[in-house]
Amino acid sequence: MQFGPTTLSPAEESLRREVREFLAAELPPDHRPGLGMAARHDPDFSRKLAARGWVGMAIPPEYGGRGRTAVDRFIVTEELLAAGAPIGAHFVADRQTGPALLHYGTEQQRRTFLPAISAGDCYFSLGMSEPDSGSDLASVRTRASRVEGGWTVTGTKVWTSLAHLNHFFAVLCRTSPVEDGNRHAGLSQLIVDLHAPGVTVSPIPYLDGSHHFNEVALEDVFVPDERVLGEIGSGWRQVTSELAYERSGPDRWLSTFTVLREFLREGPGKAVSDEEATVVGRLAARYWAIRQLSLAVARALDAGAAPAVEAALVKEVGTRFEQEVVEVLRTCAETEVDADSGSLFHALLAEAVLTGPSFTLRGGTTEILRSVAAKGLST
Amino acid sequence: MSDERTLLTEVAAGLFRDLCTPEDVVAAEATGWSEPLWRALTEAHFPYVSVPETAGGSGGDVADACALLSVAGRYAAPVPLAEAGLLGGWALAAAGLPLPAGPVSVGVGRPRDVVELTGSPGSWRLTARLHRVPWGRRSTRVVVLAAVGGERYVVSAPTSSAQATPGRNLAAEPRDTLSWNGAAVSDDSVAPAPPGVDADQLRLRGALGRAALISGALARVAELTVRYTDERHQFGRPISRFQAVQAHLVHIAEEAQLAGMASTVAALNAAPDPSFFDVAAAKTVAGEAATGAAAAAHQAHGAIGMTKEYELGQLSRRLWSWRDEFGSERYWSRELGRRLAEAGADELWPRISTGLVSA
Ligand SMILES: Cc1cc2nc3c(=O)[nH]c(=O)nc-3n(C[C@H](O)[C@H](O)[C@H](O)COP(=O)(O)OP(=O)(O)OC[C@H]3O[C@@H](n4cnc5c(N)ncnc54)[C@H](O)[C@@H]3O)c2cc1C
Repeated sequence: MQFGPTTLSPAEESLRREVREFLAAELPPDHRPGLGMAARHDPDFSRKLAARGWVGMAIPPEYGGRGRTAVDRFIVTEELLAAGAPIGAHFVADRQTGPALLHYGTEQQRRTFLPAISAGDCYFSLGMSEPDSGSDLASVRTRASRVEGGWTVTGTKVWTSLAHLNHFFAVLCRTSPVEDGNRHAGLSQLIVDLHAPGVTVSPIPYLDGSHHFNEVALEDVFVPDERVLGEIGSGWRQVTSELAYERSGPDRWLSTFTVLREFLREGPGKAVSDEEATVVGRLAARYWAIRQLSLAVARALDAGAAPAVEAALVKEVGTRFEQEVVEVLRTCAETEVDADSGSLFHALLAEAVLTGPSFTLRGGTTEILRSVAAKGLST
Repeated sequence: MSDERTLLTEVAAGLFRDLCTPEDVVAAEATGWSEPLWRALTEAHFPYVSVPETAGGSGGDVADACALLSVAGRYAAPVPLAEAGLLGGWALAAAGLPLPAGPVSVGVGRPRDVVELTGSPGSWRLTARLHRVPWGRRSTRVVVLAAVGGERYVVSAPTSSAQATPGRNLAAEPRDTLSWNGAAVSDDSVAPAPPGVDADQLRLRGALGRAALISGALARVAELTVRYTDERHQFGRPISRFQAVQAHLVHIAEEAQLAGMASTVAALNAAPDPSFFDVAAAKTVAGEAATGAAAAAHQAHGAIGMTKEYELGQLSRRLWSWRDEFGSERYWSRELGRRLAEAGADELWPRISTGLVSA
């Protein structure tokens, strides 16, 4: 295992300054920060960000992207998240579907989707989970049958974040039955238009009452051949490597940073008590250290390495830390959480308490990550 | 790591592998000392790494010294390596005082310590009581800071004129109380303290040294635990196959990596001296890592880990001591939190997002 300490180049530092200036100018003074990637879905903001070249950074220029490094994308992402910027519209397309299309997509798909993703105009959801398939993704039952010119898909996806606001989703489905017990074969990914005939998106109310989750029912939905993502039968390999991209970025440890910042602003001020100082100092120290592990993974990716175990460790420790921040601050504030009190700290704390359990579930649970990481440690 | 630093750590690892085996570490506990190891380290010029060559040191910087300490921590080396170069040697060289040939330790100004220097050149006298001085009775000199009138001085106090009351930490490393009662101190042992050579900087260096030792020990704890849980079978399979045990392995790996990253970055950022934020963060992270990883490693090992002979105990007992020495994680997080609160909410992110600044 190798996490090399890494420093930012002058160009990278100046990118950070540009993003900070942009955010200072763009976010209104009464901006209500969001919690990490669950921040507001705001197409205007996504397009403005894209106009600066900060969406689709991982996509090469010939497909409308910027061909930047993983570290450049890391810097932009961490600045956006630390500010609680409204990144909800483009975030999944930028982090996950864009790179997947680049690696596995056909030339035509790249030309169709990547410029739109990079312009902050085209938003994706993820269609992996089903009522009976969560951690055990290979058990998905949504199936696609061969028809003239494409496939027809039938099945039900659940927990599909923001499907009611996005354009497409990448659906993991079975394109041939399990043979010889090899469950990982016969799975494929299809790009499904969320507005196509046969697609029904219905809300599943989220714990805090908001509309985040959806059930997406697919009934004989026609998907033309040109919307098959990658190769038929390679779905498993594709989604598992996709999970690696999404593992260790700043979205896995910064979700509740704004809660700490507002605690510091509204709470103790300069007359900080010993207990408050200890809490703030400890959390800051851990943010500082976790950030550098996460950055080291981005640097390693740029160097062509495949730091899968490192990424799993960062996500495992980072997401548990996001939750811990909330509990430590709640204990320290010693108050009844009141989302409507007019205090930004309280509003963020309330949201963090209500949505916090999701941090260690989404994108692969803590338990699954531990198994992935432990296997890598022993070999 | 620079090539030179890599070479340094490789040579050091070879030396420790030969002269600091788990058996050697156990043997050294009786006396709190390993003469063969110290002699070999001295012959290799390791104690004064990071002290300028012009002052009689071995050259190199704080990051070199910390890289060396991380190797020493891995081998649970029972010698005052951190006290020699990063602390005592640094202060002596900065004040233009000679470096002793034997081990040097340091008194950083603990709450109950007393240091009174009186007289003037030709007639210096020292009355002092220093608590828990690392390897105090084994050292030739102990470096302390003293004030006379408005002047601050660095004193290289000879232990030959001190009374020593032995003490030890949880790993039986000597932590002695030393007293001088009006002892005469020669002119070549007292010099004005230059700006920057003060109690705060000594404490930062002490804490950074301990963070580096901790990170080395944790890397070894992680390795030992992976190896042991692969070898040990219960219920017909290696215990590393059980998810509950895997959770321990993952926890240890994470904490070891966090401590390693934090202490390495704090050391690399020293230009030339370590800074408050870096050290406070590194010692906080390393102390917490020591606690969590030692507990998980013992749990994963079962009873074998509770024996004196097995290597884990040599490491865990040091981790339990080093986390408290030169300021516990609570001390450093409180100091850090105070400064962050003073700087204000909007300075928090810029500070956290400043990692390694010089390579
Ligand atoms: C906020 C949020 C947003 C989401 N967005 C999407 C989305 O947009 N698209 C999408 O497809 N999915 C989405 N998900 C679903 C997410 O991917 C799943 O929640 C996750 O994969 C876990 O599956 P599950 O919820 O069915 O839990 P299960 O897999 O049923 O797990 C329940 C518990 O059992 C444990 N467990 C299961 N198997 C094992 C095992 N082998 N070893 C040890 N423990 C095990 C789990 O760790 C967990 O603790 C989202 C989830 C959340 C919380």
